[in-house]
Amino acid sequence: MSDITASAAGELWGREGFREDPYIVAETLEETGDAPAVILPLAVWLGLEESVRSETNRKIGVSVAPGESIDPLLPLLDTIPLIALQFPAFNDGRSYSKADILKNQHQFKGELRAVGDVLIDQVAYMLRTGFDTMKVTHAVTLTRLAEHNLHDAPGYYQPGRGSHTVPGAYSWRRVPGA
Amino acid sequence: MYRYDEFDHAFVSARVEQFKDQVERRLAGELTEEQFRPLRLMNGVYLQLHAYMLRVAIPYGTLSGRQMHKLAHIARRYDRGYGHFTTRQNIQYNWPALSDMPAVLDELASVEMHALQTSGNCIRNVTADHFAGAAADEAADPRPYAEILRQWSSMHPEFSYLPRKFKIAVTGADRDRAAIQVHDIGLHLKKNEAGELGFAVYIGGGQGRTPMVAKKIRDFLPIEDLLTYTTAIVRVYNLNGRRDNKYKARIKILVHETGTEEITRQVETEWQAIKDTDLKMPQQDVDAIDNYFRMPNLPQRPEGWSQLAAARKADASFARWVDQNVTPHKNPDYGVVTISLKPIGGIPGDATDAQMDLVADIAEKFSNDEIRVSHEQNLVLPHVAIADLRIVYDLLLTDGLATANAGLITDIIACPGLDYCALANARSIPVAQRISERFGKPERQADIGELKIKISGCINACGHHHVGHIGILGVEKKGEELYQISLGGSGDEICTIGDITGRGFSSEEIVDAVETIVDRYLLVRTDKEENFLATYRRLGAAPFKDALYNETANAA
Ligand code: HEM
Ligand code: SF4
Repeated sequence: MSDITASAAGELWGREGFREDPYIVAETLEETGDAPAVILPLAVWLGLEESVRSETNRKIGVSVAPGESIDPLLPLLDTIPLIALQFPAFNDGRSYSKADILKNQHQFKGELRAVGDVLIDQVAYMLRTGFDTMKVTHAVTLTRLAEHNLHDAPGYYQPGRGSHTVPGAYSWRRVPGA
Repeated sequence: MYRYDEFDHAFVSARVEQFKDQVERRLAGELTEEQFRPLRLMNGVYLQLHAYMLRVAIPYGTLSGRQMHKLAHIARRYDRGYGHFTTRQNIQYNWPALSDMPAVLDELASVEMHALQTSGNCIRNVTADHFAGAAADEAADPRPYAEILRQWSSMHPEFSYLPRKFKIAVTGADRDRAAIQVHDIGLHLKKNEAGELGFAVYIGGGQGRTPMVAKKIRDFLPIEDLLTYTTAIVRVYNLNGRRDNKYKARIKILVHETGTEEITRQVETEWQAIKDTDLKMPQQDVDAIDNYFRMPNLPQRPEGWSQLAAARKADASFARWVDQNVTPHKNPDYGVVTISLKPIGGIPGDATDAQMDLVADIAEKFSNDEIRVSHEQNLVLPHVAIADLRIVYDLLLTDGLATANAGLITDIIACPGLDYCALANARSIPVAQRISERFGKPERQADIGELKIKISGCINACGHHHVGHIGILGVEKKGEELYQISLGGSGDEICTIGDITGRGFSSEEIVDAVETIVDRYLLVRTDKEENFLATYRRLGAAPFKDALYNETANAA
């Protein structure tokens, strides 16, 4: 739980650069007052009434720890504005697979956010597996992102978001760019 | 052989440039060792007992003369004049300076080589049968598929932070020379009744402290599904593999704890969801990669057979080398030559710069410019005309490379052990050297026949001791180096983990203990045709334990 609170700090970044974060992170809905956008832990979110979850006047996102399954969310994706996948440590890679499953297998349209130990060497991987935004606290990462230095490769050996095929190239290869 | 295109060149150069920047920051003190660690590991740079070590990838163990010359040059210029070929079909340099690493990586890049995917919890350098594309007994060359897997797994965004390292091995022959059943994924390329190619898929094999033989989860996977199916396996592992305990984090533990049936179901379910995505391989791409690995145009050389007969007759040493180190080739006028890196009393897998240059020269002239590194820490010349065997032998002989012991008791695998490795309990290399000396006489080795000894300096099993016919493991007990023996292991198509015999032996006792086992084998085998492993499988451990423990007890 403290993971989520800790990662509430930091700056929100996406492909277009840094931006304001409209969401607040909370443990329960009650403590958020009338905040227009909140992120709740998975168990809390799943416990909400359907009518509350899909309220149109406020956005209720859900935060998922690496050890938690995203399966219960899959039938409900259309109603979820934001899913935050946690990286409590940079070397816990489970959330990359979840990102790919959510965005590519299930066409999740909402915002997919990475929170936690987001390091510069991982940012390009996160974008390619399907993350839209990341909440960054690490100082070097913040500097590099501000310099638009993503430590990215000139080409990829796998399909992924934000890349395209080149005619005549092997089917698994991609180059950066929408 | 595969050749880089512009895409590969750009990819590798970008990585080298990045690493240069990181090394400079480290040397300038801007990065601490702790911050630098994950970055250097991504580039194959380890910190060992005495110095940094560089592990260079040799994908599926295939390289050209030019590449081997480059490895020799690096050994000469940046190391102490030698390199160490490993059970991962790679080469390690034990002494390069950190400040030289970017230059070494630049040199490697100039011959289409790199050190990526050789460490870290990612999909490691893919290994394959070292006789691939040449051996008479294969259904098809597995290397095109190893190359496709190499590309697909390079800097994979989803699979670079797995619970633990992940190793894939591929073989194209029923006789498994790639030890696929002790890998995280083992692929056996074969033909079905309709003559189509596909893979039997094994998962969850491994060594280390909990050795396991892999489970077959698919008998025939069509080629086009290679990448989707592999993705499904690695994804199930990434999501569910244990991360709470480093020693339980390999896929073998997940397979064991989940059960083969259930994990197969999970993989198949995941695969159903992705099997028709962009990763389904069009035949034209497979063909294009396959093209790089075409059997070279080898001229007919039928005169070789009569020359060989005469040369054998004239020189018993040469005859022994041909019998032991030359394997049948697809083309009857050719042979596959194993160059032993196990001279009697030498360090298994070490080669000097001069030896590497010599092998490169020979390969360029007599083996269609191709060399292989075997997981048994030897080198291979895959395409040598029978007519050229004599001259190749004479050239190898000039620098101690013609030891006629491939597959014999002195063809020992040993990990670096306490001489280099920070994790070691005991020395491996000196034990290998002493065993080699004890059994070094050609007649004695030939009489003993096929016998694989494998030595690891600790339970991580880098020396494959679990699958040694005789395995030797360094353990530490009350501050003393002890060696535990296991018997009956095998990494081939009938894969078994060796059985531990009992209490360990001191450094002084271990060579005698091995000799005791060998002597007992000679006594109880039915005849010379029954090799050590077959004898062990027939009789079990009892006669050997009896020899080891009762007789020594009686003697004492
Ligand atoms: C000298 C520094 C080395 C270190 C610190 C080291 C460390 C390790 C560790 C910790 C494992 C156990 C992994 C696990 O079970 O999850 C392992 C396994 C292994 N290593 Fe090494 N190693 C070193 C050198 C080598 C060398 C030189 C080779 C090749 C000759 C090698 C090949 C292997 C292989 C084949 C395994 C097999 C076990 C498996 O994959 O299940 N290692 N190593
Ligand atoms: S088996 Fe142990 S001692 Fe030998 S190289 Fe591996 S980690 Fe080091």
